[in-house]
Amino acid sequence: MPKNVIIIKETIMSISKYRYNQEAIKNLKIKDTSILDSLIDFESARKAHLEKEHSKVDKRMSLKEAVAEYVHDGDVLTDTGFAYVRTPHQAYFEMVRQGKKGLHAIGAPNTNQSFMINFGTVAYSHNSYVGAEMRGTDRNYSRSVKEGKVAILSEWSHGGVALGLKAAQLGAPGLLSKQMLGSDIMKYNPYIRTIQNPMRNDPDPVAFIPALYPDIAIIHVQAADKFGNAYIYGPVVNDTAIAAASKRLIITAEEIVPEDTLRYNGKKGVTLPFIYADAVVELPFGAAPGNMPGHYYWSRQWWEKLMRYACKNEQNFTEFFDEWVMNAKDQFEFVEKLGGAKWITEARRQTKAAENDNEDIDFSYQEYTLDNDSGIYY
Amino acid sequence: MKNETPANPLETLAYIISQQIKDHSVVYVGTGLPMVAAILARKTHAPSITMVYESGGQDPISGDMPWSVGCPLTWRKSAVLMEMAYSFGQAYNGYIDIAFLGFAQVDMYGNVNTHMIGDDFLKPKARLTGSGGNNDLSSLTENMVLVGLQTPERFPEKVDFITSVGHLKGGNSRKEAGLLGKGPVSVISQWGIYDFEPETKRMRVKSLTPGIPLEIAQQTTGFELLKPEGDIPETSLITPEALEILRTDVDPHGVFTTMPT
Repeated sequence: MPKNVIIIKETIMSISKYRYNQEAIKNLKIKDTSILDSLIDFESARKAHLEKEHSKVDKRMSLKEAVAEYVHDGDVLTDTGFAYVRTPHQAYFEMVRQGKKGLHAIGAPNTNQSFMINFGTVAYSHNSYVGAEMRGTDRNYSRSVKEGKVAILSEWSHGGVALGLKAAQLGAPGLLSKQMLGSDIMKYNPYIRTIQNPMRNDPDPVAFIPALYPDIAIIHVQAADKFGNAYIYGPVVNDTAIAAASKRLIITAEEIVPEDTLRYNGKKGVTLPFIYADAVVELPFGAAPGNMPGHYYWSRQWWEKLMRYACKNEQNFTEFFDEWVMNAKDQFEFVEKLGGAKWITEARRQTKAAENDNEDIDFSYQEYTLDNDSGIYY
Repeated sequence: MKNETPANPLETLAYIISQQIKDHSVVYVGTGLPMVAAILARKTHAPSITMVYESGGQDPISGDMPWSVGCPLTWRKSAVLMEMAYSFGQAYNGYIDIAFLGFAQVDMYGNVNTHMIGDDFLKPKARLTGSGGNNDLSSLTENMVLVGLQTPERFPEKVDFITSVGHLKGGNSRKEAGLLGKGPVSVISQWGIYDFEPETKRMRVKSLTPGIPLEIAQQTTGFELLKPEGDIPETSLITPEALEILRTDVDPHGVFTTMPT
């Protein structure tokens, strides 16, 4: 081989070992593509998994310790649960309080990245969905994008993210899909390639989605044992895949139960295996103010106030998060502000009634509006 | 008292959407109006439909109006809760009959934008939600119906970002891009129902809401609407019985059917 070819090859190798979609790199104005590498770095994920504690040991620690030790600045963080169902909001708040910086957010959805941008906790987005459905567009996220406080590194559909994470769980370098083809998402995603289906003679475009390996995931569950076997009831969404793929995993749980409780569990649901977990945190109300199936319904007024008041402008946002997050020591103070024992009782009745594990109740409530802040969160 | 007021545009839309749902079908339900419409259909002419949600709920028993697609009411005593990847996989494999999707913008070929408004992706006039499951369902589902209020800004000649491919550039271009299903079969707005002309795949008036002249529909559209041969039929209005069920039994608190102030 002529010498100059070798030099060119080495130059390319030194830039990146990955072949990113150059159109997307150009459209997203990404100058240094090494920022994209971690998310698809299978080798370092495998190494991290090999180096984890493999024996069955007690992994319990406090939330403060777990976040301090396992969440690193610049990590790729996956959102878990479903936007505001079984999502580890209280752990996210602790990340913000500890001043973590420069994380990349991915998830399907990744609604919760929005508030972390204001604190510099999240600086990069692999975007799939940010918003609160019919309660309105997230104006805080819109402002952050416009002002360049967050750099979008890739655009995804929910199914695209789900397949990338699922590929990792399945132990496959990637999956072929019919999603996202022909759309502008393909022009703003450096990771996905349109290729010809190699098994077909007729033209058959398919999307190659690489296996995705986030650096850190925090998964909130109904019950875990001290080793990290983690029981989920209700929508699992992408969490079995995320748990398997993530380089580091913190389990937060409503309660810590004896291992036998999970071994002989006849209830509906899934259990994540302990070998994935790095830390186990007993964290009752860890998903508040979101919905935790079996435990508490979301505080609808809190989310309405967030969307309608806090997201309206920067000043409101700062005031709202000072009140609820920065000046709250832990989840117990948060629950006190929601209404304490009264909130716990009402929120439990509401989720159990919604799940048909309680007598039907009247779900009407006084909605939060800018003109009407009742101060009641249940 | 409440039931004497005429149907508002959102209630009208919910009814028209519900009319697209055939009994015994499997319906992939997005948040908001499609959720209201599917529940209304189940409580009126289509009691045996199966509802599927992207958060994993599948065939929940009846209950109050879900507050979101992740709400426990979307998986109330479901025998099966799907992981997200498997749930969308059902659309690829042909188990989903129809899906309803919203939009911030839709163009003459039924391409949908839920990403951003403006011509600079990095500095948009407004940044919107992104795809969520919108692209997945529009890429995979056999029959897709687009639902939303109609204004010139929301029906532009060209969408600012193609989140979900409808008929792409018309003709055969959707299939050539590698996508499955028929693409959007109709678009439902407060002014009427539109379908797509079979050859060009351009949006065409199918029927108009009673009292709405074609001019209104055209004036609130940023491209030329094709017209059907002959007279344009009127869309059937919500019946008093259906309105009663909608207000008392489907969305009694007006979670999704109260007009934004």
